[in-house]
Amino acid sequence: MKITFPYMGSPYMYEKLFSLLGHEVITPPRPSQRTINYGVKYSPEFACFPLKVILGTYLEALELGADTIVTSGGNGPCRAGYYGEAQKKILKNMGYDVEFIIFDEPKRDLKTFLENVKKIKVNNSWRQVIKTVKTVYDMAKSMDKVEKIIETKRAYECNKGEFTKAWHEITEEYRKIESSEDVKRVEKKAIERLNSIKICEVPEEEKIRIGIVGEIYVVMEPSINGNIEEVLNAYGAEVERSHYISEWIDFNLIPLPSYKEKEHQILKKGEEYIEIIIGGHAKQSVGAIIDFMERGFDGVIHLKPFGCLPELVSQSVIDKIMREYDYPILSLSVDEQMAIANVLTRIEAFLDVIKLKKHRKRIAR
Amino acid sequence: MEKIYIGVDVGSVSIKVVAIDENNEVLFNSYVRNVGQPIDTVKDELAKLHNELPDKEIGGVGVTGSGRQLLGYILGADVIKNEITAHATATLHFHPDASTIFEIGGQDSKLIIINDGTIADFAMNTVCAAGTGSFLDHQAQRLGIKIEEFGEIALTAKRDVRIAGRCTVFAESDMISKQQYGFSKAEILKGLSKALVRNYMNNLVRGRKLKPVFVFQGGVAANIAIKKAFEEEVGHEVIVPKYYDIMGAIGIAMLAKDEMKRTGNSTKFKGFEVSEEKFETTSFICKACPNECEIIQIKANGKVIAMTGDRCGRYSNSVI
Repeated sequence: MKITFPYMGSPYMYEKLFSLLGHEVITPPRPSQRTINYGVKYSPEFACFPLKVILGTYLEALELGADTIVTSGGNGPCRAGYYGEAQKKILKNMGYDVEFIIFDEPKRDLKTFLENVKKIKVNNSWRQVIKTVKTVYDMAKSMDKVEKIIETKRAYECNKGEFTKAWHEITEEYRKIESSEDVKRVEKKAIERLNSIKICEVPEEEKIRIGIVGEIYVVMEPSINGNIEEVLNAYGAEVERSHYISEWIDFNLIPLPSYKEKEHQILKKGEEYIEIIIGGHAKQSVGAIIDFMERGFDGVIHLKPFGCLPELVSQSVIDKIMREYDYPILSLSVDEQMAIANVLTRIEAFLDVIKLKKHRKRIAR
Repeated sequence: MEKIYIGVDVGSVSIKVVAIDENNEVLFNSYVRNVGQPIDTVKDELAKLHNELPDKEIGGVGVTGSGRQLLGYILGADVIKNEITAHATATLHFHPDASTIFEIGGQDSKLIIINDGTIADFAMNTVCAAGTGSFLDHQAQRLGIKIEEFGEIALTAKRDVRIAGRCTVFAESDMISKQQYGFSKAEILKGLSKALVRNYMNNLVRGRKLKPVFVFQGGVAANIAIKKAFEEEVGHEVIVPKYYDIMGAIGIAMLAKDEMKRTGNSTKFKGFEVSEEKFETTSFICKACPNECEIIQIKANGKVIAMTGDRCGRYSNSVI
């Protein structure tokens, strides 16, 4: 069994999970133009953009010899829930004989979930499985922690590119870990490394904080969203996302209420605008906007894959929020047609609006 | 010696070069089509500027428009800024009470909302050019009229005809069928003007409440039929400023002036000699990863001065 998986954010966590359990892992290459071309070519035209890119990723992994694809399902009426099934069919029609292991929320279908776990577990003892899952979970938590530091401090680096370079090196260190102790050690070193990077501080009142919300794949995968976090950092703005993989695990995979608290709060904040879960992350996106606003962020960028129905709904809610609270939100549509020049112009103007607004407030005070 | 500030707006369809003095008076302005050689065109226009204003000192240079980064680098610009901020800056100078700015250029259309004298919100067309100058250009060509006569002819229309304007290609087929029903050229043109404004309202305004004073600028503002269609749509007078087609360039010149005043620095402008330098742009496909980016290389007198187009920073960081 040669396992592969979708590429979203850093792939090393998934790679680690399967390799520690003794599987042969084919880590897919970072999504590139080739991945997108593959995906767009073999997916139905009307499918949403993440389905296309992920299909492209699978095709590249299959070329590298993978024969088993492990992925998560989705819930609600969002099409993401059918990605696995749709992609399975497409690949079958293309003549690939590939096994799909699709993890849905355990509470929905515990039997299938446990069957899937068994397929991954193979000969490992349960103790070993739990230890591995714990290690990988710690790794995800730790990497998200380090990445959050970078998203904040990179805005003020004196020499452009240092933090990004450090991040690439740090992820390679995480790639080598074997236990939770290793994670702690790597994290300590990583934070030391980041602290040694030269920072050109700006006065507190001139700092700009931007939240990024939207559909999880386009928010989490920089190669697809035009490296938006790096771009914002380069313009001197701090960034925080509404999605981190460790938080996704907390909410979707850990059956303990205390781990779900944050997500429930976010959902509650979205309640006023979208009462029910309409699929994807629409309600979370709206809730996260309110959350960022309450936490004093200066503005929010909303990313939606072209053709994503749930995020189209949140986009229309955004118009209302902007008017109601006079809060700057920029909605960007992401797909293979995205023109970088156009996006940069809008981000730059968006940050100008925010700066002027802050300036006006300061003068008024 | 009196100081002047140069503003350059490199749009997809046209290139605008202006010079303003300390009081924002426009001393030089030019508007030429971008025929794909922006560097050469700007060089020529700068030479003209130098000819007309030989004894002025250059206080600062600003560059805006979709080609701003590259050209800003070549000229040694002091300010390189997006066209939304640039446009609003100029509009607020000429019409300080403006609340809503409609800006329609060759391939971009923008809506800028002003609140308390600063930009409060904006929108820009994203996936489609159906609400822009290129749309009108294309249709005028089809009907065999000059774009400059478009507005005048459209105003002579007696009846209204609705043209499907969602997509340039479908608008064309709709136009042909409406022509066959016997509608005149003028009526079709009027229909097109309304279709463009309808498109603009649907794609950019998206239900925002627009407040007067309304200002309409960009190359398309020359078209009085579009101005009229906007007035009918918003139910209010729409102002077309005197310098409607060079507002972006004026705005960026003003921003350059403010920046120089604020910092007290002297300009980084490489001088008019830049127009003597020979620029050459070449490109190659990078094979380092499957992204296969098209790397653009700019040479000045045979020496590489800038590289761009890579997604990873492999070349753009290696600027010499």
